[in-house]
Amino acid sequence: MLGVGGAAALAGCSGGDGGGGSDGNGTNETDGDDGGDTNTDMSTYSTAVSASFTTLNPIYNDENGAGNAIARALDQGYTFDEENRYVPLLYDMSTEDGEVWTFEIREGLQFSEPYGEVTASDFVYLIQEIHQGGWASSVSATYWTGVEVEQTGEYEFQATLESPQLLWPESFEPLLYPIPQELLEPYVTEEDQEGLRQDEELLELQFSGNLGPYVLDEWQRDGGTQYSRNDDYYLQDADDLSDAFNEAPYFEGAEIQVLGEQASRLGALETGEVDQAAIPPERVQEYQDKDGIYVNQVPQPYNEKLSVNMRDNGWTTGPGNMFRHKPFRQAMATAIDKQSLIQGVFRDFAETHFTWQPRFSNFYPPEEDIPQFGVGDRYGSEVARDLAEEAFEQSEYDYSFDGETMVDPDGNQVQLSLYHSAGQETEQLMGEFIAQELGNNLGIDVSIEAIDGTRFDTEYYTTTDFPTPERNEDGEVTSVPDELVDTVNGEEVEWTSPTATNPGPRNITGNEDWDMEIVYGLNTFPRNPLTNAVFFDGATGSYNPVGYYPEFDAQTLFDNARQASSEEELADALVELFANLAEEQPYIMLAFPDSTVGYREGLEGPIENFSNGWNLPAWRYE
Amino acid sequence: MGFGKYVGARVLWAVVVSLIITTVTFLLLAAAPNPAIREAATQAALQGGDPAAAVERERELRGLNQPLYVRYMDFIQSVYTLDWGWSESRSQPVTEALLQALYYTAQYSIPWTILTITLGPLVGVYSAANMYSWRDHVATGFAFFGYAIPNFFFGIILLLIFGVWFEWIPISYDTSVPVFSLENVRQLIMPVFVLVTGSIGATMRVSRNESAEFQNSDFMKTAKAKGVSPLRAYAYHVMRPTLVPLSTTLVGQLLALFIGSSLLVEVVFGIPGLGRLTFNALVSQDTNLVLGSTLVFTFVAVVGNLLEDLVFTVLDPRINYDDR
Repeated sequence: MLGVGGAAALAGCSGGDGGGGSDGNGTNETDGDDGGDTNTDMSTYSTAVSASFTTLNPIYNDENGAGNAIARALDQGYTFDEENRYVPLLYDMSTEDGEVWTFEIREGLQFSEPYGEVTASDFVYLIQEIHQGGWASSVSATYWTGVEVEQTGEYEFQATLESPQLLWPESFEPLLYPIPQELLEPYVTEEDQEGLRQDEELLELQFSGNLGPYVLDEWQRDGGTQYSRNDDYYLQDADDLSDAFNEAPYFEGAEIQVLGEQASRLGALETGEVDQAAIPPERVQEYQDKDGIYVNQVPQPYNEKLSVNMRDNGWTTGPGNMFRHKPFRQAMATAIDKQSLIQGVFRDFAETHFTWQPRFSNFYPPEEDIPQFGVGDRYGSEVARDLAEEAFEQSEYDYSFDGETMVDPDGNQVQLSLYHSAGQETEQLMGEFIAQELGNNLGIDVSIEAIDGTRFDTEYYTTTDFPTPERNEDGEVTSVPDELVDTVNGEEVEWTSPTATNPGPRNITGNEDWDMEIVYGLNTFPRNPLTNAVFFDGATGSYNPVGYYPEFDAQTLFDNARQASSEEELADALVELFANLAEEQPYIMLAFPDSTVGYREGLEGPIENFSNGWNLPAWRYE
Repeated sequence: MGFGKYVGARVLWAVVVSLIITTVTFLLLAAAPNPAIREAATQAALQGGDPAAAVERERELRGLNQPLYVRYMDFIQSVYTLDWGWSESRSQPVTEALLQALYYTAQYSIPWTILTITLGPLVGVYSAANMYSWRDHVATGFAFFGYAIPNFFFGIILLLIFGVWFEWIPISYDTSVPVFSLENVRQLIMPVFVLVTGSIGATMRVSRNESAEFQNSDFMKTAKAKGVSPLRAYAYHVMRPTLVPLSTTLVGQLLALFIGSSLLVEVVFGIPGLGRLTFNALVSQDTNLVLGSTLVFTFVAVVGNLLEDLVFTVLDPRINYDDR
């Protein structure tokens, strides 16, 4: 799921607050508590988050936190339950071949006056005029490129994909918000993007009718949002969902508060003033022992990995970028003890990470198919050095070991930098551990640098200064500059659509040099792993800041997966893909930290599952 | 030059200063890369479009293809007509964002400022009057403690004690309570206390040392000899001259605290005020909002300095403007 900012949509700063399910690091706070020392009002379901929202305009939001704030008042098309089954909310989706998808809109969905009932034409208009219009730059625009949409009934429309995608719903690409056609029309006529972004009805969700569990009363920037119960919530009448929704939501109001300071969030949880808060791993034990609070451990698909820069602005220690050699990356993965990392830094609240999927994924390869670097026999100095020496032999430069130390052709110790987000304690600890392991097991001198995430992104990780191919009036590429051509595995490859996160071949780089980073964690998309094509679909994938050139035929495997006509075929292709990625270590994979969330005793609904929060309107106190 | 002319000249100078600052800000902005253009290029590339054409379109849309002087004139006009643009990081007009944030900042900064400028000199003079007694040591210790302990840390400790342990104050800030209500006092008492203890120290120490000088002066001895009551003597003959040099440091100190301390205190206590707005605007590269808050602080600084100069004449009649 690639949004406007590319990196922003794919990557989250790692080592953050974690959070639970759809709710990030939520806490709950009482509303209208006008005195008294205790806060036991359970009529308002309010959560607190660490960061404020950029926009609540559903067409332009690409933030998880703001998505949760919108979701309080406006449902999207569908969701997935704890068994990973499709749950229709606004519409049901069906297909026979994975290519033509039929959307059936639930009847009885109402916008606020004067917009009337939600029909297929609202969705079709949104897709065709906004997402496919080419002028609006909506967040979902990329998802609908090349999809043909046609209204086939008052409550039904069809989408035809360029090629079959059995897991299309799982990619969340066909996930739509209901937006009234009449509201959009003036902006479409004028192609007024600025007006659409700034529309007050969209920003304040004034059109939400019966389409969400709550109605947005106020959005106080930097303060949060306040809602009151939507008595007409459409899911109350839905007979295809569990009875728990019949009286949903179970709170008179809702609130999301922005509390920037972790101590404040935890303090509020402790007093019962809030009833949900993310707990940092090092304090989970303490909160598990407290009365009135329970802590859930929720598996997540966001990883902790070490990026190694294979572009020309990486490997600053000497000539010949060793990161480009597969055995060297394997050596690094072998040098870092994953179990100790998980115990020491994540206090056991994490899973080992060997390939680009978490273990709970249906597409996780059989254990015997993937090399497990960094545990058991595949951890340690000796095995890491053997792999490093294999890499030295592949290099045209004379790297070697001088006793315990890895040295460059001039005999100087290899020195590398490792960047982490400033102020992120978990990340800093992880950086120190990695530096220590690479020092002990490979004799590399690693210096740790703290940096602001935005600065690292704009100055180091990405660049907007890249050549672009020439195009004709229809937008087709007519010629590609030489700088955008490189030889990958003996074949000539052209970068026809360079992006800030993959600006071209390895010689096109960000402004500043960097060797390794742990600033960003990435999504591994376990529901629809095909989305990982943005990372690994050949050297030209749209997100490839590290300049990774796959040494196996990734494109064919992705193509096989895309063209699969059954789930078995799909699984076969993907399992092979992930076995190869485990071997190649395009990023040095380390761990999948769990999200650890504390809840107020008695709150029913939270589950220790990736889908935690899917049925949020049905959460309640016993 | 008479007082009226002096004020006129100073106001004119204030306008010139604000124009210079605005111009420098404009030049810095013009030289910096625009994140919206970067976004447009990325978006075009992801959709299989032409990033170069998208950049050109975006530049045109934002008027960046105009000559610099035209953009400068537009900019200056917008600044002085309060058309400060749209805040991308908050999705609202910049002026509205600033007013909203100021509304919450004012609720704690007004009591904080009043308490600091009244309590500081009072405690200082009291300390001087009881110099080297245990009272002086307690007051000095209190001042140094407040000055030395970082505000955000002190805030967290107080929240822990009075919020978590005793549950006397709420942990999270509620924007929906009325300004003049007991709930608002409850939720603001700690932020104000933290800020006052942080800022009172310097004021108190300066006024203590200044007033120590005046309490042994000839006019004080005369006043005592004439039987003037100690309260009146200190209020008129010590406090007043003490405030003259103090007023030069007050404005600067309070402004610095306004920006620095209020951010951290706002973060700890969850207050959606000006400090957090400015910080978030900077971090998210929201240029319009950064500019807006810069202008607010410029305005506050220029007006603050102006007021400071005018206050001199009120406090000390010996200062006049005839020869300026």
